[in-house]
Amino acid sequence: MSLTQLADEDLMPLVRRGDAAAFEVVYERHATAAFSLAYRMTGTRSAAEDVVQESFLSMWRSGARYDRARGSVRTWVLGIVHNRAIDALRRSMVHDRRRASDEGLEERFEARDRTDIEAARREEAEEVRDALRTLPPDQSRVIELAFFGGFTHTEIARMLDTPVGTVKGRMRLGMEKMRGQLGGLTEAIG
Amino acid sequence: MSTCDRGADVPSYVLGALAGDERASFERHLATCSACRREVADLQVVADSLPLAAEQVAPPRELKDRIMTVVRAEAQAREAEESAPRRPARSGHEPWWRRITLRLAPLRAAVAAVLLLAIGAGGAVPLSRSSTTEVPAQARFASAPAAQASLDVLNGRARLKVSDMPGPPAGKVYEVWLKPPGGAPAPTNALFSPTRQGSASVDVPGKVSSGDQVLVTAEPAGGSAAPTSPPVIVSNPV
Repeated sequence: MSLTQLADEDLMPLVRRGDAAAFEVVYERHATAAFSLAYRMTGTRSAAEDVVQESFLSMWRSGARYDRARGSVRTWVLGIVHNRAIDALRRSMVHDRRRASDEGLEERFEARDRTDIEAARREEAEEVRDALRTLPPDQSRVIELAFFGGFTHTEIARMLDTPVGTVKGRMRLGMEKMRGQLGGLTEAIG
Repeated sequence: MSTCDRGADVPSYVLGALAGDERASFERHLATCSACRREVADLQVVADSLPLAAEQVAPPRELKDRIMTVVRAEAQAREAEESAPRRPARSGHEPWWRRITLRLAPLRAAVAAVLLLAIGAGGAVPLSRSSTTEVPAQARFASAPAAQASLDVLNGRARLKVSDMPGPPAGKVYEVWLKPPGGAPAPTNALFSPTRQGSASVDVPGKVSSGDQVLVTAEPAGGSAAPTSPPVIVSNPV
């Protein structure tokens, strides 16, 4: 059986043993999602590349830390990218670097039905975007500032001139609504 | 909603919106509070779905090339280590280095590429901004006069930061060396390749002591036991 036929969870023990080809398959499968998240968070291609490079090299070197009981490889990968991007944002305090509108448009991922998996992912993505869109704006805003902006709840409170307790409450209400709306999807992701 | 007073922080925790010290404190609390753990599990699935909302953008091909160059080099190094675990250290033979007695660290880890350090923030101990000392370093690239390098040093740990650095020659990687005062450079297991923009942030393995210098040379994939080319980065003594 070729490596590309193996499930992520079966590739990880090979990665742990230092199999570069197995790692390459994992990279190929998740690089676009990882880069997209990093780009959304950092707002520039160069910072996103740095975050993705650091994240994947750290995964390569710590493959032993993947625990399948705690979720899919994709969730693990994106969790690492998210943490790295937050570190990068807080390190460089580049919170004003949003939306580099001149970058990246030419490389935008074309939505093609290459595989069933990609088609399913696009559907899931649309569900999550819908769930976010239908939240009251004050709830979606705090969730986006926290998750994609890398801001702490204290920073968000300051930016919105709102008590921290209110920010926490909006996050909770928004997330609980999303959980109800996403239903089966969140089970599949976990 | 959790019945625990600290439950109000669960959404911030799963969204990554707690500052470092708050996060550490909340994680200690989680270890003892099953109500908060349950709620984290409930809301974590929502946080895990959020990356899907990001517009999908394909990464550049060169990014994969850079990552896989390092990965293959380290895989080769690991294989070499496993097949010759007690390979004796070779003495240095390169002209620029001949003047110095090489005292290679026994079985240095350059070849034991199961690296705990990382390029970027993935390494050992994160450096705190508050008390970090910056040590200048000279970058010597004829083709890139704008290249810059420096070390952040805190509590005996050093991180090398470079900018505008050209990539290593084809088939090579950069290797980091630690040179004690008056001594020979000891290889480290830090192999790296800068980003396309020429930046890199590399944790220097092991402890640095007063007077130590950090060097960087271009080496064949997998690294070398002794430098095979003149250093392209030389730090001031720590």
